This record gives sequence, C-alpha cells and structure tokens, in this order.
Amino acid sequence: MPKHPLSCTVNDEAVQTLVQPWETLLEALRERLGLTGPKEGCGTGDCGACTIHLDGKPVASCLMLAVQAGGRAIRTIEGLGRPDALHPLQAAFVRHGAPQCGFCIPGVLMAAAALLAENPRPTHEEIRYGIAGNLCRCTGYTTMITAISEAAAAAAR
Amino acid sequence: MTMKTTRDVRGVGLAIPRPDGPEKVTGRVQYVADLQPRGLLHAKLLRSPHAHARIVRIDTSRARALAGVRAVLAAADIPELKRKAPTRAHAVLAIDRVVFAGQPVAAVAADELAIAEEALDLIEVVYEVLPAAVDPLQSMQPGAPPVADAGTEADIREALAHSAVAVAKTEAGPAKAVNISQQSRLHRGDAAQGFAQSDLVLEKTYRVPMVHQGYLEPHAVLAEWDRTGFLTLWASTQGSFNTRSEVADVLGLSENQIRVIPVECGGGFGGKIRALCEPITALLARATGRPVRYVMTRREELEAGMPAPQVIIRLRTGVKRDGTLMALEAETVLEAGAFSGTVLTVSAVFLASLYTWPAFDVRGVEVLTHKPSVAAYRAPVAPQTIFAIDSHMQQIARALGLDPVEFRRRHLIVEGDPMANGQPWQSNGAREVLDRIAEHPLWKSRAEWKASGADGRGVRGTGLALGGWLGGLQPTGATVRLNPDGTLSVLTGQVDIAGTNIALAQIAASAYGVDIEKVRITTGDTDTAPVTGLSAGSKTVYTVGAAVLQAAQDARGQTLEIAAAELEASIHDLEIVDGRVIVRGMPDRGITLAQIGKKGNLYMSKTPPVLGVSRPAFSQQAPAFAAQLARIEVDPETGEVTIHDFVIVQDVGRAINPLGVEGQMQGGAVQSLGMALTEALLYDGDGRLMNPSLLDYRKLTAADLPDLETIIVEKPSPSGPFGARGVGEPPIIPAPAAIANAIEDATGARITEAPLTPERIAMALLAASDGIVRP
Repeated sequence: MPKHPLSCTVNDEAVQTLVQPWETLLEALRERLGLTGPKEGCGTGDCGACTIHLDGKPVASCLMLAVQAGGRAIRTIEGLGRPDALHPLQAAFVRHGAPQCGFCIPGVLMAAAALLAENPRPTHEEIRYGIAGNLCRCTGYTTMITAISEAAAAAAR
Repeated sequence: MTMKTTRDVRGVGLAIPRPDGPEKVTGRVQYVADLQPRGLLHAKLLRSPHAHARIVRIDTSRARALAGVRAVLAAADIPELKRKAPTRAHAVLAIDRVVFAGQPVAAVAADELAIAEEALDLIEVVYEVLPAAVDPLQSMQPGAPPVADAGTEADIREALAHSAVAVAKTEAGPAKAVNISQQSRLHRGDAAQGFAQSDLVLEKTYRVPMVHQGYLEPHAVLAEWDRTGFLTLWASTQGSFNTRSEVADVLGLSENQIRVIPVECGGGFGGKIRALCEPITALLARATGRPVRYVMTRREELEAGMPAPQVIIRLRTGVKRDGTLMALEAETVLEAGAFSGTVLTVSAVFLASLYTWPAFDVRGVEVLTHKPSVAAYRAPVAPQTIFAIDSHMQQIARALGLDPVEFRRRHLIVEGDPMANGQPWQSNGAREVLDRIAEHPLWKSRAEWKASGADGRGVRGTGLALGGWLGGLQPTGATVRLNPDGTLSVLTGQVDIAGTNIALAQIAASAYGVDIEKVRITTGDTDTAPVTGLSAGSKTVYTVGAAVLQAAQDARGQTLEIAAAELEASIHDLEIVDGRVIVRGMPDRGITLAQIGKKGNLYMSKTPPVLGVSRPAFSQQAPAFAAQLARIEVDPETGEVTIHDFVIVQDVGRAINPLGVEGQMQGGAVQSLGMALTEALLYDGDGRLMNPSLLDYRKLTAADLPDLETIIVEKPSPSGPFGARGVGEPPIIPAPAAIANAIEDATGARITEAPLTPERIAMALLAASDGIVRP
C-alpha cells in the first residue's frame, strides 16, 4: 500500500514525511521523526503517556492517525523546554522530585501546560481534574500537583 | 554501622532532587521501546485464547511466506525447550498444552510491527479446549483439572530472592491435591485450649483478588547476538544480574555469554524481577541474526503479565473479655496462577508475628490455577495479610469496647519477641509510628468528624492501620574511585527505579567527606559493574548503600594514606576539608584531592590510584513499619467512598534523602489505596480476563485523591547505612485495612473482600450480621 505524504509543523519546525495509512500519530512521531518523548503506555487513550498538543490542545496521540495531522501544529515534550532551558513547569517538577520512573512525565507535563494555557491560576482541585487523564504509578500525584500550582503562581507574579 | 556525617559536607539528610530529573522532564531519557538500532526487527507473540487446551496442530507456513517476516518460531523450533517448566520464563512457548489464556504459542519477527501483527493472523493453531481450574478453592480439590505437568517442582526462588522470611523453616504435610504446589505450617502453643478459654471468638474470611503492579512502561527488551555467539540484552529490569542468570538458565548458556544492559526502567514494583519475554526475544534475534525488539501491549500486560496472587485468608481468633489474646488460627490460600512461585510464608509470619499470640496455628497453601502465573508486587502478600489481621484487631477492639490504638499497642511486638518462625524481632519502629499517628489531630478529632456527617448526605468515618516489612537481603558490591579532578565516581550495578542513585551518592559523599556535587554515580551493566542485587525487597539503600558506604570509607582510607606520605604526617592527624586533605589544626599543610587523584593517574607515577571496593553479604534485617490514617465519607445510597484526608507515618531509620523518601511514601500509599478501592483482575468462568484495559482495570487518578500527608519517623537501624531502613515497601501495606476500618467507623459495615467497591459497600449496608460467634 502506498505511503501518504504528511506535512505539518512539529515543535515550530516544518516537517514532511511519508506515513502508512494505518499509522498512529504517536508511531509517526516516535518511529519516523525520532521524537520518543511521547510514550505508549496503553495504546487505547487511557493512560495519557502519549499526550501532545495539537493546535495547542492536549490530545492522546495514540488515538489519532498520522495522516489526520496534515497541516496542523504539533508540540511534543521535546518542544516544551530543553534540559538547559527548562519550561517553568519542568523546572518545578524537577525541584519537587516529581519524576520517579519518569515514563508518565512527558504526558503529565503536556496536560499541565495545556491546563495552564487555558486556566493560568487553577485551584488544586482544577489541577487534579486537569491531569486526571494521566496515570502515574510512582508518585501518588501529590508532588505533581504542588509543582503545577507553584509554576502557575510563579508565572502570575 | 551508624556513623556521624563527616563534618559539614553536603550529603546524607539533604532533600535534593535526583540528577536525572532534567532528562526525564524533557523526554530525553530513553527506555527500551525508544531504542532503534540499525536493522531492528519487531517481535509479536501469538497467545492462546483458551485458559486450558491441548494444542493439536500449529501451522506457521503462511506466516513465514508473508513479505517482511524474518522468522516464525513455535515450540518445535526451539531445541532448548523442556517439559515441566519450573517457571514462566522456562515455558518460552507452549509445547502441546496451554495453561492460561494469553500464554505464548508462537512468535514472529518482522521488518515492521504491522507486518508482525499481520503474520500472527496467518498462523493456524488447532486447540482442543479442556476444562479449566479457575477458582483457587475449587482448584485445591481432588479431581480438579491439573495445571502443571506431573513432577514439576515448586519454585521458591522469588521467596528466597525477595523476602528472606521464607528461609525460615516451616513444616507441612505432603501435598494431596494435584494443584497444591507449596504448603507451610507455623504453630506454637495449644490453640485449641486457647479458644476453649476465650470469651470472644471472631472468624472472618478475607479476600484480595489478583491485581497488577501497574507500572506505566510495559515489559520491553531488545536482543542482539554477535558472531561469536555472545548475547546482549537491553532490558527493562529490576536486576540485571538476575535477568542474566535466568536467561542463561533458560537458553542453556553460561552467564558469561550474556551481557544485560539495564535501560531506564519505567516502573517495576516487583513485576520486573523475573525474566518474562527476554528468552523468546533472544531466540528470535538468534533465528534472524538481527536485533529484535519486543514491547508488550497493555492488554498483554494485563492478560499475561505476572500479577500479584489472589489471597484468601480464613482467620479465627480467641480473646478474653479484657482483651487478652488467647489463640489465632488461620488458613491462607495463595493463588499462584499457572506456575508456582509465591512467597508463601510471608503471610503466615505477618498473621501471627505482629501481635503476641500465645498460641497459634497458621497453615498456608499455594494453589495453581489456569491463570497467568504471579510474581512479587511491592511487599508481596503483606498488604493482603495486614488487611486480614488489622481488620480483625479493629473488630475485636470494637466488639470489646476497647480503644483500638491502645488495644494494638498493648499486644504489639517489641524487639526480641519471637516471630512466628521463631526468629527474634529486630529493632523496629512499630510502636513509634503507631503512637505518632494516634497523636495526629485527624485521629484525635475522629468523633467530631463522624458527628459532622450526621446532617449531611454522606456518613463519615476515620480508620487507621499498621503494617510492616522485614526487609530483603542480598550480597552486593560497589566501588568508589577518586578522579584526577578530585571528584568521586561511584559504580554499582543497581537499577535506579526509586531514586536510589542520588541516595547512594549522598552516602558516598558523607562517608568520604566531599559535597554531593563532587560525586557522580553510574549504574553499570553485567559486564562492567560489581555484582549487585535486585532493586527490590526494600533493600537497595540498606544493602547497596552499605556497600557504597564501606567502599567510600575504603577510598577515604587510601586517600589519607597517600596524603600522609606526601605530607609526612600521621594518618590520624589528617582530615578532609573543602576538597583538601589537611593536617588537623594546620590548614596550610595540605594536599588537594585533585592532586592525589592526578598522582594516581600519571605516567611513571609511584602513587597508586584510589579505588575503594566493598562486597558485603548480610544477615541482619531491619524491619520497617508504616501506619496510615484515612478520613473518609461514604454515600450510604451508592456506597461511594470519598477520601478527604490521608496520612502516612513511616519509620525510615534515617532519611538519606527526604525528597525521595516522601516520594516513595506517597506512591506506595496510592498503590495501597488502589488495592483497597478499585483494582482487581476479573476473570470469567472460562479463565478469560474480563477487564484487559486501563479503562476497565481502574487505577486511581489525581482526581480520586486528596493531597497526601507524609510524616517521617527516624528510629535508626543498628545495621543500616547511617541508620537507614528500607523505604519502598511499608507504604503499600496498610491502606486496605485502614479504609475498611474507616468504612466500618462510618457505616458500621465490615467489608472483608477487596476492592472495597461501592457495590460491595452498598450491599453490606443492607446486611446486618456482625459475624461474631460467642461460645
């Protein structure tokens, strides 16, 4: 079966590649573009580890075909901040020791960044619901919620 | 081994984030599924849809003919395969009988994952479906459909590797029924007489179903052989040396023909100790001569991972009216699934050892069923056992009108008391954590909380529970090296699944006498690292930390020896201050650590390099206890539980890194709460999993929980590095009992089967019997 051309923006750069018609956006990002930050924890949209931003909105990239991303703007965890220039959310996560095994972290951070874009000063309750689509097995979420709340407060100052 | 921190260095006790944080929050850390070597092939396994069936025929010819398929393997293609497989890892592919739904029967390696998936559809397998033993209580009975081949030996490696209580001698009669694979019995005194003299006899049966460890990263491995027959495995494992040994055993290789490189592990919790998919992936790589990567899907994880056993405990106790303990009798059934391997004696030890029963008789059986075989899950069998014994203690106190904390405290073991297996209890903080939680304002105000529910829609209650873990032991090695720049390099083979590397580096810093910023720690692979034990059993800091401490002390001693010669001073007059070795009281007479490091690294130098080495073995455990408190509200119509507050009090001996310790306490508590409230692998009558997705296997989310309060208690262990005890396991233990106790406080209903779902609670509220027999 012929591959389909895919043109989109990924982390602020124009990208062109060929994808299989059955390929998920997650697979295309990971296997073709080498962006392995988004993780596959379930493949069914239940764990949130593959969360990316599509035109600024958080989506589960495992539930979307790559061809559906044509002409759209995609941001992955690799485009949120760099190790030498962390996004304030990333810095707060590090400071509070939120990453343990780290597998869920890219998805949680993308969900949190989308939440703050929509609601810059969320309550703890709003943060809880903002990341309720992201499963974490190591942390119990408490450090994440503290970190997100702190990053939001710092941005408001 | 308690020692003072070397003066003023930044090391033990600092709450500092782990150094891999920036890599993790930016998505740069690579897990096995992220590795993509040139020529990579993708593996898929064809799995049995039946829990028990005879394989009549397997035809792989159509799959082999598919373009892009590089290898298809069935049992007949693998000469190493043997019958009577003692473990899941040995049963690489089913030979002629499948014993659980999800068992692999064939394997494919292909250029793309989609091609491998397509190939699975082209493999034809004809099954003759056989009756399955699905319920463990029925599977124990004579005449049940047999699970293991006759003559298969019980597997107690998990018990030996993990818990160390299992080495205690237990006595048991010969197994009668075909599916009973292990038996144990611990007893002391005359239980029958104790019951006869009791005023209150309480008997209940407690059940906790199979649950999954729930790590977010599914099992994954990448295998490649070189032309000399040497195998390299990039593995998501909790112990690379253990993985190497198990794979060597299954494939008939020597350990020295295998290199296991531990890749970042995306969670394990006991589920990534034993080999699972490594052997078949290695065989596909051998058949193709290419690197092969296998990543389990979440559905495969839930259907065919290695979950925790179902635990059924019938518990009967007798006490006097004044609360004097008289006798305890219990039967524990552990459902192991299709292969033996549970830690049977943990349950017996914790049922009868935590409180001082003058007479007890505890029997345990491990039962095989046609379900996936089980493995460890963070403090294996302890949460389930504490669910039984702590629920029971609470009910006795309630029935006798005694204060529940005072009742527990009165009978709680102290150091030196004999455990059920006869070994003495080591120093522990059980009493301290119980006292601490009883002082908590949420406990002291429990009556007010309960009363505040009277005018609302929900009914309110508070519950607490106490549990502990004895701590695993395993020999281990570590080296500490001084570099030419005056920094230290620490090397172990320890897989950092819990933030232990930063803690080990802190130990090295304090033991040697430099700031933590000067210490770099590396996890080596099985070719490069000293032999290191599993990251399991709450023993990483306790054992590997002790090795690092001794290696750092060794390196310090070597450093001071060199400095003594250079400075023409006595070694006893030297100290390390700010990166220099100086003569005490004479800060001008000194030599920098960098100078010493350089001398050991110079052409024609006569100064040896500094290399501290330690390789301890251990015999003394350090029990660690946690108490948890839940303040809840129950909707009496729907049975829904809302957790308003949750407190974790834990004795960690010494918090080497409080940030990491709190992370362990919080994470463990939420797994415990998941076991209490929502999690269960649900099987139909044919042994098929009914909830093989994370939508239906319900783990707790951020929206289900309050902020968790952590209180660290530090009662130093006499044997741990800087007094540290194990931290990982205690926090997963108390919540099922604490929540059940809170529900009883709120509603009067006692639930004895986990998870404590709204349905069970609502049904219990309809029932009235308290189950108490008064002879």
